[in-house]
Amino acid sequence: MYDLIILFVLLSLGYVFGQIAEKRHFRSIIKRESEYQSILTFAKRFPLNNDGEQRAELVGGNVVISVDYFKRFVAALRNLVGGRVTAYESLLERARREALLRMKAEARKKGLNTIVNVKLETASITKGNKNQVGAVEVYAYGTGLLSNH
Amino acid sequence: MEYQNSKIPEGINVSSEHPLKNFIYLLLGVSGAIIAVLLVLFYTIGFIAKWVPFEAEVKWAESISASFNESGDDTQNGLLDALGLPTTDKNLDGLDEQYTLRVQKITLYLQDLANKLALAQELPEPITITVHYIDQPLVNAFATLGGHVFIYQGLIDAVESENGLAMVIAHEIAHVKNRHPIVALSRGLGLGVILSLVTGVGGDSLSTSLAGHVNLLTSLAFSRGQETESDIEAYNTLLKYYGHGLGATELFSQLVKAGQETSLPEILNSHPLSQKRIERLEKLGQSTITDCSYASFNCSLTPLPEFLLND
Amino acid sequence: MIVTNIEIVPGRQVVKHLGMVQGNTVRSKHVGRDLMAGFKNIFGGELVGYTELLTESREEAVDRMKQQAEAIGANAILNVRFSTSSVAAGAAELFAYGTAVVLE
Repeated sequence: MYDLIILFVLLSLGYVFGQIAEKRHFRSIIKRESEYQSILTFAKRFPLNNDGEQRAELVGGNVVISVDYFKRFVAALRNLVGGRVTAYESLLERARREALLRMKAEARKKGLNTIVNVKLETASITKGNKNQVGAVEVYAYGTGLLSNH
Repeated sequence: MEYQNSKIPEGINVSSEHPLKNFIYLLLGVSGAIIAVLLVLFYTIGFIAKWVPFEAEVKWAESISASFNESGDDTQNGLLDALGLPTTDKNLDGLDEQYTLRVQKITLYLQDLANKLALAQELPEPITITVHYIDQPLVNAFATLGGHVFIYQGLIDAVESENGLAMVIAHEIAHVKNRHPIVALSRGLGLGVILSLVTGVGGDSLSTSLAGHVNLLTSLAFSRGQETESDIEAYNTLLKYYGHGLGATELFSQLVKAGQETSLPEILNSHPLSQKRIERLEKLGQSTITDCSYASFNCSLTPLPEFLLND
Repeated sequence: MIVTNIEIVPGRQVVKHLGMVQGNTVRSKHVGRDLMAGFKNIFGGELVGYTELLTESREEAVDRMKQQAEAIGANAILNVRFSTSSVAAGAAELFAYGTAVVLE
C-alpha cells in the first residue's frame, strides 16, 4: 500500500514538474532559434563556396537531459505493449534542438556565420544499467566557417 | 546558388497526444491484459489440477513435509511446519502413558468416523483420508495435500454432538474429494510464476519463487465457491449417514455465538460468514427430508463419546 | 592548429597527409553528482553537471588529438569524428579522431 502511495506521489511530481520544464524549454528553444536564424547550418560535406580563404573551426554543443519519473513509467508500460514511445519523442526532440542551438551559439561567439557537415551524436548515459540515472545526451558538431555566401 | 535556413513548423517530430491520456490508455490496457491472462490461467490450472493423480499429490505432500522435517518420517509435524502452524510434541518418552493412549484413542475414533463418512460420500478409489488429531485449543480443522485432515481439540470442544463433528469432517473430506488443496496450491504456484514474470525482474526472482514454492502452502486458501461446494456435499453426506441433517449448523452457530468470526485463524477466515452458511444450510434442509416425523429410525443427535471431551 | 570535420580547409591546399590521429578520455561521474542526478530524475530537466562534465571531457579528447597532431608535425586535422561509448557502469569513454595534414 505504501509502495502505491509513493509511486503515485513520484508519478504526479514527475508529471507536473516534467511538463512545466518541457513547456518552458520548448518556448526558450523556439525563441533562441529565431535569434540564431542568421547562422546557417547544413549537413553537406563541403563549404558553400570554395573561392578564397575562409576561417574554419570545429564547433559543437552538447546537452544532457534526464527523463522524469512519469515518462519513464509510461515508457516501461509501453515496453510491454510495443509501439511508438511518445513519451520519449519530445525528450529527444528537445535535446537535439538544444544541442544544435549551443553549437550555433559557439559559432557566433567565435564570429562564424555558417556551419557545414553538421553531425549529431546521441548517447544514453545509462545504457543497460537498471538502477542508474536515465538520461539522454546529444552532441552536435560541425565545421564553422566565416563564409561570404 | 542561394543558401538559407527556413523555419520548420513545430510538432512534426513530437506527438500531440496528451501524455495523461496516453498514460491512462496504457495503464488500463496493460492491467486489463494481465488480469485476463491471470483469469484464464486461474481456470485452466483449476481444471488441469483436478486430473493430477492422487498418488502424485500424496508424493508432493510427502516431499513438502520432508523438506520441513529433517527426519522426514513425521508427516504430521512436517505439514504443520509447512503451514506455519505450531507442531505437536510427539516425543513419547517425555509424556505420560495415559495421555499418549488418549491421543491414540481419539485419533482412531476420528479416523473411523472419517472412513465411514468417506464411504457415505462415495470417495473415489485411490483417494484416502488420513486424520490427524491435534490437542490444541484452536477451533480449527483443515484439509491439505495428500488427503491429510487435521482436527483440533478446540473444535471438538466447540461442537455439541457427533453430528456436528461429522459435518466438519465431511466438509474436509469433500475438499479432498474435489481436489481443492491441489487446485489451490497449483493456482498459487502458477499465478506466482506469472506475476514474477510480469514484474519483469526476470531470472533471479523467478527461480527463487520456484524454490520457495513450499511457502505457498502457507497461503493455501480455498475460495468461497469451494467452501460452499464442500458445505453442500458435507450436508448431503450427513443426510446419508445419519438419515437426517440435525446438527449440521452446530459449529457455525457456536462461532456466531462466540463472536469468533474475526479472531479465527487465517485458514478459516477465507470461509463464508458463518451466519450466511447457517442460512444456506437451513434453506437446503427445507428441500430435503429433515423432518423427523418421516423418519422410520432413530432421529436424534448422536452424543460425542465421553473420552473426547477435555476434562 | 585548424580542426574541421570537413575534408578540406577552404582556400588552402593540403601538401602532406600524415595519417590518423586520435584522442580519448574515460571519465566517470562522482557520487555526489550521481545523487543529484538521481534526484533530478524524478522531475526531469537538464542535468547541468553531466553536460559540463561531458563538455570538458570532449575538450580533453580534442586536446589530446591536437597534441598527437603537433607531435607529428601537422598543422591541421581534417574530417574529425566523435564517438561515445559506455565502458562500465557510470563511466563514459569519449573519443575523437581525424586525419592529420600539413597545409601549405
